[in-house]
Amino acid sequence: MYNRKSKIEVALTYVVLTIITLFFLLPLLWILRTSLITKAEAYQIPPNWTAALTLDNYINIFVGNPFGQYFFNSFFIALVTTLISVLLGAMSSYWICRCAKRGNQLRMAILVTQMIPPVVMVIPLSLLVKSLGLDDSYFALIMSYLSFNLPYVIWMLLSHFESIPRELDDACAVDGCTQLQAYFRVVLPLVMPGIMATAVYSFVVCWNEFMFALNLTGLNTRTLPVAIASLDTQQGVMIAELCASTIVAILPIIFLTIFIKKYLVQGLTYGSVK
Amino acid sequence: MKSIRKSNFLLFMLPSVIALLLVLAIPLGYSLITSFFDTNLKYQGLGEFVGLQNYIDVIKDVYFRDSVKTTLIFTVGVVILEFLAGLVIALLLNNIRKGRNLFFTIIIVPMMITPIAVGLIWRLLLHSDLGIVNYVLSLFGISGKAWLADASLALKTVMFIDIWQNVPYMVLVILAGLVTLPTEPYEAAAIDGASRTQSFFRLTIPMMLPTFSVVLLLRTITALKTYDLIFVLTRGGPGSTTEVISYHIYQQAFRYLEIGKASAMSYLLLLLIIPIAFLFIKISRSRTV
Repeated sequence: MYNRKSKIEVALTYVVLTIITLFFLLPLLWILRTSLITKAEAYQIPPNWTAALTLDNYINIFVGNPFGQYFFNSFFIALVTTLISVLLGAMSSYWICRCAKRGNQLRMAILVTQMIPPVVMVIPLSLLVKSLGLDDSYFALIMSYLSFNLPYVIWMLLSHFESIPRELDDACAVDGCTQLQAYFRVVLPLVMPGIMATAVYSFVVCWNEFMFALNLTGLNTRTLPVAIASLDTQQGVMIAELCASTIVAILPIIFLTIFIKKYLVQGLTYGSVK
Repeated sequence: MKSIRKSNFLLFMLPSVIALLLVLAIPLGYSLITSFFDTNLKYQGLGEFVGLQNYIDVIKDVYFRDSVKTTLIFTVGVVILEFLAGLVIALLLNNIRKGRNLFFTIIIVPMMITPIAVGLIWRLLLHSDLGIVNYVLSLFGISGKAWLADASLALKTVMFIDIWQNVPYMVLVILAGLVTLPTEPYEAAAIDGASRTQSFFRLTIPMMLPTFSVVLLLRTITALKTYDLIFVLTRGGPGSTTEVISYHIYQQAFRYLEIGKASAMSYLLLLLIIPIAFLFIKISRSRTV
């Protein structure tokens, strides 16, 4: 053992870490609490610490507001975008990795697209979408999400395909496989963990996206971030319902974070840690 | 052999190439074209060709310059503070075994949720009359403030909220780097009688430098793009004290309908980001095999 740590130091580390963790946790818990009490009590300062819990706010947003529809929109758009990105992106990534002549330039180009600010894309995209009469359609939003999601998937999967030895493909070719067969039957199953990691993070990014959704969705296709942002402006401070809808928007992501944390970590370290 | 290559290109690449042309290249090209016209949504069509006039107007525009300044202050501030806080937290987590996973899982939650929710959460917490923060401060005899409405506080408050959301990102990447550091150098240093402070500065920092530069650059790029938080928290106000570039461009395009000017600003923003992007690529490439 090197540099043995004293007991006091370890205890101190735990104390400091607990305080830091509470700093990140308490705001979320407070919103959860506010979402579970009545409207009147939500306005009370000093807070009534013994307020009875109720699910009324959640019932209200799903019955009084079309939050069920918004939830479905968010889920559907994020899922379809992710599926398309992964399907197209994995094939391209594989090809760039195995066959591309100017692989390096291609890689650079793909990475640069990741740096483009959304505001730069949203202006021409929304003009084009409107001139084609496609606003308030799932199609328009999914296509516009591909502009950042597809390059992300291609980029993330490159290193995963690189880790699969080329000899494997050659062996398949010797056995008479076409490249497509080799890809689907041999290489793809091997990079599945990487694909899962990429897909999970890509889903989260779509679920959270705001600026494109703000411009391209209407009443029928509105996603949760747009819905909670507009709930806020329409009705002043409806604290309790706002908290309930915020919880609805973030809860799936929190579950994802907890249960598939390993994948998320992979999806985010983004080639920065090898 | 060559024809197989070609047909495989069609099979593997064509769908992505078409998709990216449609959703990326065409919009970007369209934007570049409109940046040379006095396009305005109030009128039909592209409008008149004005050459570089939009770019000249924009660079001379005081409001645009102010938004650049605000963005730079915001970006430098949050990136440095988030990095330092992230480093400290990652080092603390790296020091413990039991419970590390629990702490880590809770800490990374804020960065996974949408900035819209983060903004709404903090707006409620910081509400000057109904918020819990001012109430808790009052218990300690500190008078509450109008955190987001006070022109001298708003930018700092927004930065604080951004830090709450994005420190977790720094923790995640730095910790991922720390756990992969080899242990042998530390053992050797300890045998040679190096103190822990010495091995931190002589071993940890140098070995972590590549990770540090990557997170700093990536976070700088994302901070320069900040929009969502500003939208929910302040809408650029009070006055234009929190109006960052993205928000300014957005207003120019969708409120004042000045597409030509907004496109010119977009390209200026790209010019600001591209050098950082290339620096990032250079550094991260020198590390990949």
